[in-house]
Amino acid sequence: MIEVKELTKRYGSYTAVNAISFDAKPGQVTGFLGPNGAGKTTTMRMLTGFLPPTSGHAMVAGKDAFDESMEVRKAVGYLPENVPLYRDMTALGYLMYMAEIRGVPNRKARALETLERVRLIERANSKIRTLSKGMRQRVGLAQALIHDPQVLILDEPTIGLDPIQVLELRDLVRDLGKKHTVLFSTHILSEAEQVCDKVVIINRGNIVAQGAPAELRTTLERGGRIVLRTNASADKVLPVVQSLPAVAQADQALDTIVILPKDTHTDPRPAVARAIIENGWELIELRPLAVNLEEIFLELTRQTESASAEPVAETSEASS
Amino acid sequence: MRQTIAVYKRELALLFRSPIAYAVAFALLLFLGVLYSGQLSQIVQYNQFAGQQGAQPVGASELNLTTGVLVFLLFLVGPLLTMRLLAEESREGTIETLMTLPMTEGHFIVGKFLAVWTFYTIVLLITLVYHVIGHQVGVPDDGAAFGQYVGAWLYGGAVLAVCMIWSAVTEDQIVAAFLSAATVLVLYLAESAATSLSNAPGLSGLSNFVRELGLQAHYNGTLANGIIRAEDIAYFILVIVGALFITVRIVETRRWRG
Repeated sequence: MIEVKELTKRYGSYTAVNAISFDAKPGQVTGFLGPNGAGKTTTMRMLTGFLPPTSGHAMVAGKDAFDESMEVRKAVGYLPENVPLYRDMTALGYLMYMAEIRGVPNRKARALETLERVRLIERANSKIRTLSKGMRQRVGLAQALIHDPQVLILDEPTIGLDPIQVLELRDLVRDLGKKHTVLFSTHILSEAEQVCDKVVIINRGNIVAQGAPAELRTTLERGGRIVLRTNASADKVLPVVQSLPAVAQADQALDTIVILPKDTHTDPRPAVARAIIENGWELIELRPLAVNLEEIFLELTRQTESASAEPVAETSEASS
Repeated sequence: MRQTIAVYKRELALLFRSPIAYAVAFALLLFLGVLYSGQLSQIVQYNQFAGQQGAQPVGASELNLTTGVLVFLLFLVGPLLTMRLLAEESREGTIETLMTLPMTEGHFIVGKFLAVWTFYTIVLLITLVYHVIGHQVGVPDDGAAFGQYVGAWLYGGAVLAVCMIWSAVTEDQIVAAFLSAATVLVLYLAESAATSLSNAPGLSGLSNFVRELGLQAHYNGTLANGIIRAEDIAYFILVIVGALFITVRIVETRRWRG
């Protein structure tokens, strides 16, 4: 269980994470989604007790991540982004070392069991430096799993893997999510859509949206832009659509028309459809612009970028 | 405690697999061996000569290994043994995993320090072979040797702890080694600086302060001659504890700055 309230991290005048709040429930995979430099790693480091927050609180497994850091560390398994490992140790030796520091009983048996779980048992006695990127990633994951933690925090675990390894890892993460609380960061949207029960989208240190992937899509469809395609020429259709009360704005985009609804409560689609039919034109397509997370994401980051244009200018003035 | 032992065991095993640790031990033992055999052959020649002339043969503490040379060489040995310890963990990023385990910086740094001190202790114990050889040739001063060795052991601990500070400051092992060597040399030469200062009028207080700050004032002339003073023991322990405390603080702040 992870509960984050108003968590903020500033480096001098630069705000890496700006008062974010979200939670991750047990038995679920929560996806932490955002472009590079959005603040994902910083947030995860604060949750694991590696970095102290500037302000705000993070409760992990019922304990404060900063004030009761040692308790939290016992309950958390963490896979850092670049998977730092001791290259001169064997996979088994490394896991046993981690288990020893953590005070895991029956170290050797437990290390072997964990290697089995990440399907690396046949390379247990290989030096880590001889392992491929995907195998190292799995050693890192085994390290995070060695003490069977309540909470798993994985920072971009699929980065740099080949497609088959990515699929394997996603399966593993989904499987882990059944028992543990998993927080998993990625900048690949389709991945979040496939693996996660809940998605938290972060951009420039701010949470721009959160919810189940399907839920996010419906919220965004409401109030989101709509694509209209008819058989008539845009010159004729545009004035008709623009005159509708539910439509704020309509613009031509190639052979389609993009409609911006007036507010989030009324869906302009029925009115648009009726208007097209009444004018005797053929309605070919009428759909929300954002149909997958990829588009939702672009839509959301576009919105926050225009909204945050002013505060950004302020901070740059303050720092200069 | 459990964490410290785990770190200690891994680090000590690593030292025994590290080519640099062997190279340092080899160079140190070779140098001391050449030095001691030279010392012995001189004494043997002199004693033969003295025997012919009916004069007193040289013995006792003259037959002891000159540990003053050993502690001087620590300005090379210390940095070479410690430069990797923390710099590598920062550079490789492994510190991020370690510092999200239920382990404090203190556990971790004390474990590392004890491992490298143990390695040094083993090398120091090997040099006792010269004392055994001395016994074959004549009658060395066992009491003085005890003081010399206790002193050299504590001296080494203090040097290693001071060197660890620089390994925590920088990710670059070479930079860490150079800064460590410079620091240890400054501490070694503090006594000479104090002597120059004492010539200036009105600076005797400062001169004494500088002298007491340095490593030599607590070894040369006291422990090196077998005189065990509580203040010298306290000095070395204080340097070790102080340097480790500073190292812990540096590792903490480096992490917190991100």
